[in-house]
This record gives sequence, structure tokens and C-alpha cells, in this order.
Amino acid sequence: MKDLKHLIFFEDLLQEANNKLVQQAQEEGNVCVAYICENTPEPLLNLPGTFSARLRAPRTGSFDIATYYLTSFLCEYSRALLERAIEGGYNFADCVITPDGCSMMNRCVENMELLKAVGKDKEHFFYEYMEIPMKSDDNGLNLYTLQCENHILKPLREHYGIDTSDRAIRMAVAEHNRVCEIIRAMGEFRKAENPVITGYEFSVITLATYVAPKYLILDKLEETLEELKTREPDEKNPFRVRVEVVGSETDDPDLIKLIEESGAYVCADRYCYGSFPGRDPIVLNDEEDALTQICRIYMQRGQCPRYMNTEKMIARRQYVADLAKEYRADGIIYQQMKFCDPWAYEKMLGSHILREDFGYPVLAVDRPYAVAGSGQLRTRVQAFVESVELKKIQGGAQNG
Amino acid sequence: MAKEIGKDRLGDFYKEGSKVRKRREWRGVKDTLYDYSRWLKIMMTLGKFVVKPRNVKAMLRYRWMANYLAVPMMVDRHTQGLRGEYLRMCHVEQDLIIDDVAKLLDNLFRGDRRIGNDTEFSKKVVLVDENEMTAVMMGFPTLKCLSRETPSTYVSVLLNQHAAEHYLDVAAEFGLATDVCPMPAAEAGVSIDDDAPVLGACAIQCNTTCDGSLLGNGVISKRLELEDGVPVFQLAAPLRHREDDVQEYAAQEIRGAIAFVEKHTGVKWDWKAYFECAKRVNYATACRQEWLDMNRTDYPQVFGSNLALYTETNYMAICGRVEDFEKADRKLTKLANQAYEKRMRAAKEYRHRAIVWGVQSHFYMDFLVWLLNCWGIVPLTDMLSMVSTKRIAEEDTPENREQAIYDMAWLTENMIMRNRTHGGYKVLLDELWEFTEQFNADMVILWEHINCKALDGMHGMFEDRARELGIHLVWVDHDLFDPRIISRQGVRDQINLYMRTVMREEPIDPSLEVLPDDESW
Amino acid sequence: MKKTLKIFLKLLGVLLMLFTGTFLIYIFNLDMKLTAAVEPWLLKHYDRIDRDRHL
Repeated sequence: MKDLKHLIFFEDLLQEANNKLVQQAQEEGNVCVAYICENTPEPLLNLPGTFSARLRAPRTGSFDIATYYLTSFLCEYSRALLERAIEGGYNFADCVITPDGCSMMNRCVENMELLKAVGKDKEHFFYEYMEIPMKSDDNGLNLYTLQCENHILKPLREHYGIDTSDRAIRMAVAEHNRVCEIIRAMGEFRKAENPVITGYEFSVITLATYVAPKYLILDKLEETLEELKTREPDEKNPFRVRVEVVGSETDDPDLIKLIEESGAYVCADRYCYGSFPGRDPIVLNDEEDALTQICRIYMQRGQCPRYMNTEKMIARRQYVADLAKEYRADGIIYQQMKFCDPWAYEKMLGSHILREDFGYPVLAVDRPYAVAGSGQLRTRVQAFVESVELKKIQGGAQNG
Repeated sequence: MAKEIGKDRLGDFYKEGSKVRKRREWRGVKDTLYDYSRWLKIMMTLGKFVVKPRNVKAMLRYRWMANYLAVPMMVDRHTQGLRGEYLRMCHVEQDLIIDDVAKLLDNLFRGDRRIGNDTEFSKKVVLVDENEMTAVMMGFPTLKCLSRETPSTYVSVLLNQHAAEHYLDVAAEFGLATDVCPMPAAEAGVSIDDDAPVLGACAIQCNTTCDGSLLGNGVISKRLELEDGVPVFQLAAPLRHREDDVQEYAAQEIRGAIAFVEKHTGVKWDWKAYFECAKRVNYATACRQEWLDMNRTDYPQVFGSNLALYTETNYMAICGRVEDFEKADRKLTKLANQAYEKRMRAAKEYRHRAIVWGVQSHFYMDFLVWLLNCWGIVPLTDMLSMVSTKRIAEEDTPENREQAIYDMAWLTENMIMRNRTHGGYKVLLDELWEFTEQFNADMVILWEHINCKALDGMHGMFEDRARELGIHLVWVDHDLFDPRIISRQGVRDQINLYMRTVMREEPIDPSLEVLPDDESW
Repeated sequence: MKKTLKIFLKLLGVLLMLFTGTFLIYIFNLDMKLTAAVEPWLLKHYDRIDRDRHL
């Protein structure tokens, strides 16, 4: 296929946390709200005068200092973030907001705070930690709303004078939805037999929407969507099977590239930083306040394994199965970062259930934060592709 | 063969390759006869348990029951080297815990569909987690609040260091990463291995203590709720438990749990019973505070594994619901005061005053006794014993009934371990140094449970702060339930190394420095 | 009187024997040595039990 016009632009945005659009937005006087974890409601961080940047540590090398502080038993994602913070890589942030999504992320940010690694010379800089619900119910919603008010809106108002009114929130949601609709529309192309967008390209573009100010990226997104409408696919589909990738924090498109280089087209992305459910539009009504509605939507659609009630647990696996069906996946790859407790369990349960109850071939793997050089992972994916392909040939793709 | 404290070479009781020790200690006539009488009592408790055919059936059905062969040895491990009041305090606690666990087992097997299958009894059973405050059951005196995980994994590992290995392997065989905390992993392994009793009208699971525990519950509830048909309520206790803006959420969870139990058992919440329990909770707190106050002096009395194991049981699993524990509190306080007045010490020599922090190695709970006997390090208190000291409402008034909901929520949020490992760095990091000062400690023994992410995540900050404050910080790595990763000797070696190289000291009892207990229970 | 004394002595003898026996078991840790010998048999038994092993 012909290269996408803006792919390099999007790839460039992923090379640094402090990318050129983050710098531009700050130069324009906007407050940069750095955050971690998909359970932080994104539109609340993108109010007029603010923009969000979800923290990543691209091009991570060693993280020796972070390993001293966190030990080698914490996931590499949390260590990479802390290392980057200690290196001064997040000093552009005007505040850091994090939910207690998991112990490791919490400790990562706490170490940033204790080491004063972020926010140097920023008078109004603040850290906020949020409690977020572990069940999807009314009580959880009350908590979520209160926490967002106390730990996002209030500090933004008090430290930076940001307008946190219902009107402002609705404006942020409108902008957020525009991005989501484009990403969703691009994602739809993945359903085709011979798609006009690769999983890698899609992951790069999706990821860019998490790390760059939305208002500065919209035009390129729109243009790319238009380009896709007329893009000619390769005559022969280079992929042998189609897979859905499921798992935790995956902010490295090289993982998707590795999978696709092994012959599997990534047709659906159910992982943190992916488009499901993070790029579902947020549909608001006019009867209820926007904050409560956003929290409800985040809570109800949340696929994080920390949601512990039975209904949610069942729904998580159903969600993966539904996506696999809708995007015509031949197999599912459950991946977790090493030392991730929540996804260690979710991967075990999910991989068994999707295989045994839903009949999908499933590969369950753990991986490092940066995967590009992982020969072991490549071998496992290649073997999985072989096995799924064999099943397809034998006409038994749904027989596990 | 000595009456005096510290005369025996305690290492000489061990035998290479053996599960058990060569013989029991001679502690002088009076103390030996006392210890013998308590041993007889334990044998009678076990005898009463075994005499019931259903318990024998259970013994032959559940793999973890084999660990209960080692009950007397667990007591011996904790009474090592003890004399006088200390020996008696240890027995008061250990014997009561044994009694309580025997009752728990008996009840579990009575209702177990595979064993006793007493369906009427089972309808009165509410299952709870192993690591869960039972505060929410304080107002249900006619219901049986039973934990399946307590006897199958928690107590089993106390009895036999190798108890969890089989279940950990089962969980790993099913694809669970081996870098998660082995406690919930072993509990999940028991469920996967079809080795958990099946009973109960309903169950309450809780997100204590950690991410692993929360997710491990998902494995258990999948089978319990979806296959065995026991409805499960997941009680979500907020992590940031010191914050005001989570308390309403926590309280509402308690209300939800109570309503759930009422619905599935048909039993109504009993306020009178609740407030009786609340009084006992306050009494236990007052006693614990008194012991801790003593431990701040030169003559600490209730400390080490005595304090740790008893607090875990009394604070969390009992939570005021069992009268016998109040009696034990009273007895312990009396014994502690006697010993304090006599200016007694539990070992030949006290060299260092230590705060034991972090999550202790479960397969080596008697390590604290070793620390004292081998190196004269006095474990004044430990992280798991530094739980809530807040007095809860104990008079039955309309206002207090509302307050009680918040009190139960507070207790649940402040369950042992999670009250320190969660809730922000202040409770784990900052307060340690406050305690070090309050207890006049010159040393911190920092258990690093290698798969406890919440703890590992403060590693560097602990180091930095200890260096700033000039406190001896001794790291002791372990893997909680799995001695294959770091053995008991591996645990001891970390102390030995520090004491010899940094402190340049010689052990008080050199026979304890290296022990052949890899094969031991 | 003699009879009572006889019974008393017998009882004392039995108690003494019981004490001696149990005390020997206690001090030489014979109870634990016995159970340690039983454990391997039990473990083999558990391995033979049919189980519905699944998630």
C-alpha cells in the first residue's frame, strides 16, 4: 500500500513525551495535565485551557535508577515512567493526576512526588491521586464523581483558574468525541477482508490521540480518514490470520508491528492505550450533569481487571469475544507486561474462557515494556500464527 | 537441658533432612510440666477433632489437611527458648488459635457438600476471605462466618513451610504468572485443584489486601458462584483509606454487604450483638495499646511472633465476635504486667531494639523468635500489628448505629497489612520512622516480600530515609508462601551477613546461625 | 479401707504410667516423629484422588 501521508507525523509524536504539539499547546498558554491509567476520564483533562498527555516513556533504554527505587519486581512500564521522570523527561507537565489503578502505578507516581522529579520551578504544579471504583454500581458512580470533582476539577480550578463548569466539560466532550469518531471510522476499515489500514498504522494514530493535544491533531486525523477512504489495498493480503490483541498498558506500536511481521493482522485492539473502549464516543444527554454522565460511562465501559464484581468479570470476556466476532478475528492474543498482577490473573482466566467457552484459539504471553527486540515473543507469535492458520485450513477456526 | 533462659544451644534440636526436631526442650521442672500440660491439651483438642468420622473423611479428601499433622510442632517453634511468663503468653495465644481453627475446620466439614453435607447448617454459613476483616459479621451472631482459605492456605503454611507449593504449581500450570503474590495464587490454586470445601448460603469477598488478592478472588468466585451456586458479594474497600472523601463509599459498601447477607440467609442484623462485639474490639485495642506502650520501654513483653500472630487473628478474623479472645486479652495483659513488674526479659541478652516492617515471611513466622535467640534483636513491633487504634462506638444509640456503619467500614479499610501497603506512602514510609522514634529502635528489619508490589515500590525511599536518619536497615527478602524461592536459611543468612559484616557482632547462640531446616515442616 | 487404698494405688499407678508414657512421647517428640512418617503416605493418597481440576 502507498504510505499514509501523515504517518511519519504521527510516529514523530510518539518519539518523545514532550512532543512538538505538547510544546505548541503550552506555548499557546494551555495547561498540560499529565496522567496515567485509562481510568482517568480524559475529557475532564481537556477543558478549555487544558490538554491531556498520557505519560509514556518512548525509546526506553535502561531503567537502573528506577529499579533501585521500585526494585526489579515492578512492571517495566512503571519503572520506565519513573526513570524518564528522574531524567527530567516530564518536566513539561503542569500537574500529574493518577488514579490508584494498580499498586505499581501508584508507587511510580508517589516516587516521582517524593523525589520531586516532576514540576520543577512550576509554581502551581500539583500531584493528585484518585480513588476509583472497583465495581460498576451506584455507589461506585458516587465515588467516581466525587473523586473527579475533588482530584481533577477542584485542583485545576484552584491552581490554574480553569473553567470547570458543565458547559466547559461538554465542550471538552464534543472535542473528545470528534477524535473518537474519526478513530472509530478508521477502525471500521479493519473489518475488511483486505484492509486499507494496517494494525500498526492504526495503533500509531490511536496512540497519538492519547499523547497529543486533541485540538492540534484533529486536522491530520480528518485528512488521514479521507485518505483511507480512497486508499488502495495491496492486491494480495500479506497477512495469514487475523487476531485481536487484548491486555494491559500497551503504548508501544512495535508490539503490533512484531505481531504483523509474524503474519497476523491486528484487527482489534482491546488494551489500555488502544481504541477499545478508550475511543468510544461519550454520548451525553441534557438532563443530567456532564460530570456524572462521563463517570458513569467510564465506569460502565471500563474493561480494567480491577473491576471485581462478577457481572463485570463476565462482561469483560464477553466484550473480547464480541470484538473478535465483529472484527472477524481468527485468534486472540492475551498479553501482559511481566510483573503485572491484575493482568496476570485476567490473562489466565480470559485465555481459558475465550478458548474453552468461546472456541477461539488464544495465545497468552507476557512481555517486556519495549518489545521490538524480543525474539522470544516473535517466535511465540509465529508459532501461534502457524497453528491458527492450520486450523483455518482445516476449517476449524472456531473449534479452538 | 536448662532452666535458665539462653543456656541451651537451640540449634542442637534440629536434625539434617528431618521434618521434625530431635526432642522437645527441657525448661526446668515447672516450665516443662507447664509446656507438657499444654501439649496434652493440644493433643486432646486434636483427639476431639479426629474422633468425628466426617473430619477423618475430610482429612483423606483435602490435601492441605495433611499439614495439620504438624500442629504441635508449630507451637514448639514459637515457644523456642521461652520460659516463665513468656512461655505462658505464647501458649495462651497459640492454644486459643488452635482451638479456633479446629472449630473452623469442624464447621467447614459439617456443612461441606462433599463431607458432612449438613444442608441446614450450610444455610447459616457466610463464607469470607482469608484476608478480610470480619467486622461486617459482628451483627450476625446466629450465622457462622467461615473462611475456607484460612485453613487451606493461611494456617497450612504456618504449620508446614511447604504447604502452598503444590497449589502454586497448579495455578502456574493453568497459566498464572509466577511473579504474582503467592498468597492469592495459592488460594486460586486450591480452587482450581478442586480442593476447597463447598458450602454456605453466600460469600463475601473483599479487595483486601492487594491487586493480586482482588484478582485471585475472581478465580475463586468463578467456581463458587457460577458453578457451586453460592452467591458472592464483592466488598470493595477503598485503597486511599485515610482520605475523608472515600468514607461514604466504604460505608455504603458495608450497608450493601449487610443487606446481601440478610437477603441470602434470611437473618436480620442484630444491633445488640454488634455493640457487644464493638466493646470487645475496643477492649482488644486497649490491651494492644498497653502492650505496645510496654514495648516502648526497656522491658517489652508481648512482642515478636506472639504479638504478630495474635493481632492478625484477633483483630482481623475475630473482630470482637468470640468471647474467648477477650479472656485471652485479659490473661495476656495480666502476664505481661507480671513480667514487666519483675523486669523480666525473654532472652539472655537484648542487643538491638528493632521495628519489623513489611510483610513477614509466612512460611517462617517463628523467624522473630530466632532473631531474638540468635542475635539478641528484639522485635518490638511489626507492621501487621500496627493497625487501627481508633475506638469505635460501643453504646447502642440511634446516632451510634449510623456511626457503626462507618466504624465497620473503617475497620475493613484498615485491615492488617493493607492499612500500610495501601493508602499512600505516608502510612508505609513516613509512619515507620515515627514508630522507630517512639519505640526508641536502633534497627529496622524490613521484610521485602519480593512479589508484594506495593512494598517493593517504596524500596529506594526506605533506603534513602534510613540513610538520612542513621538507622540500621536490614533487608530480608522472601517470597511469602514459597520457600523454594528463598529458603528459611536464605532468610537467616541475610541477617547473619548484616550482623557479621556491618555490625561486626557474634551471635548469642551460634548453634542457630545455620540450621538444617530445609526439609522441616 | 484396704480396698480403697488398693484402688487408689492402682489408679495412681495407671496415672503414673500414663504420665510416664505421654511424657516420654512429649519430650522425645515421638508424636511428631510418627506424624512425619504418616505424611508421605497421605500425600500419595491425595495424588490418587480424582479431581475436577479446572478454573
